Amino acid sequence: MQRIWAVVLSVWAMLAIVAFLAWSRPPAAPVPQAAAQTLVVKTVNGKQQLVVAQPAVLGAAHATTATSAVPKP
Amino acid sequence: MTARLERVEWRAVGTTCIAGVTSGPSDGRRARAALAAARAEVEACEAELSRFRPESDLMRLNGAGGAWTAVGPRLLDTLRLALRAREDTGGRFDPTVLPALVAAGYDRSFELLEERPAASPGGWRAGAAIELDEPAGCVRLDPGASVDLGGIGKGYAATRALDAMFEAWPSLPGGLVDLGGDIAVRGATPEGGPWRIAVADPLRPGETAGMLLLGSGGVATSGRDRRRFGPNASLHHLIDPATGRPAEPGPLSVTVVATGAAEAEAHATALAISGPETAAAHVAAHPRISALYIPDRGDVLPLGNPPLAQTRFLVSVA
Repeated sequence: MQRIWAVVLSVWAMLAIVAFLAWSRPPAAPVPQAAAQTLVVKTVNGKQQLVVAQPAVLGAAHATTATSAVPKP
Repeated sequence: MTARLERVEWRAVGTTCIAGVTSGPSDGRRARAALAAARAEVEACEAELSRFRPESDLMRLNGAGGAWTAVGPRLLDTLRLALRAREDTGGRFDPTVLPALVAAGYDRSFELLEERPAASPGGWRAGAAIELDEPAGCVRLDPGASVDLGGIGKGYAATRALDAMFEAWPSLPGGLVDLGGDIAVRGATPEGGPWRIAVADPLRPGETAGMLLLGSGGVATSGRDRRRFGPNASLHHLIDPATGRPAEPGPLSVTVVATGAAEAEAHATALAISGPETAAAHVAAHPRISALYIPDRGDVLPLGNPPLAQTRFLVSVA
């Protein structure tokens, strides 16, 4: 009988510890996601299409284009 | 994942320059050597190609009055690329166009420009002769002609600087050089995928019009300056070599992807003075390039299948 009570108590103790840990740990913060970007593009044959680019999947850019500077006179 | 992008940023060739290498935790010394090599190569290119250094090889050539002039290997290379680009673009890229820009009224800093009518480009004509004697390392220009290699020179310097990094560190996993928008990339990124190049949106400053994914090659962008000058602010800085005057048709900006940044720059210049149909035909005739053409109004026009990060096509709307 003593053995049965010991098993029951240890199971309850373990469940209590698991419940305490689940309650005390903050939920994982959602990974911030940049908004998907929608482009209207026209293919060479003149057909228009909507395109969705998902920056969150891609990650940050390694470089960004810039227009060539105006030549100085 | 322990690799990261070791990078250096500095001012040169009239712009902000960035070089970066994919580097592991024990690669510090090799990474620094590669970045130093990139920087040294850009400085060497500027010393030969700059129009703003009186002692540069280019300025000696421009001042030679049509005489044969000994020049360095970088100027020789860039002139060879420029001549090939002039031929490839049917003359819409022309490195001898600067006198026409000055005649159009852009003869001083923008803030000092006056509201005066554009002058005709006088005796200037497109396609001035540039003769190369490669074995002797000498060049001769048409008397009265002068060359400006600003854009294509930066593209050339970006590619050369990237090569210099791989020479300094032969097992370099990957690298990037960005000279104010003339971008050259090769090899692996720290994350293992392709290099991600954001295309700046000319209509919405600070935002992007798309993302290019590039394993290796060059990227350059050209477009009409939003700062206009002359009567009724009708003029801009993109000269059409066919007329010697600011070009009529053309996009707000066009970004070109090519095998090298110099080629990308030359083709971007040509497409920037082309209407959409001409631009599409040009890209179709040059399978080694692709472009993202952004007009004043209307839709973004991808030409020649640029490597855009398009995750999926949603719906066809026309």
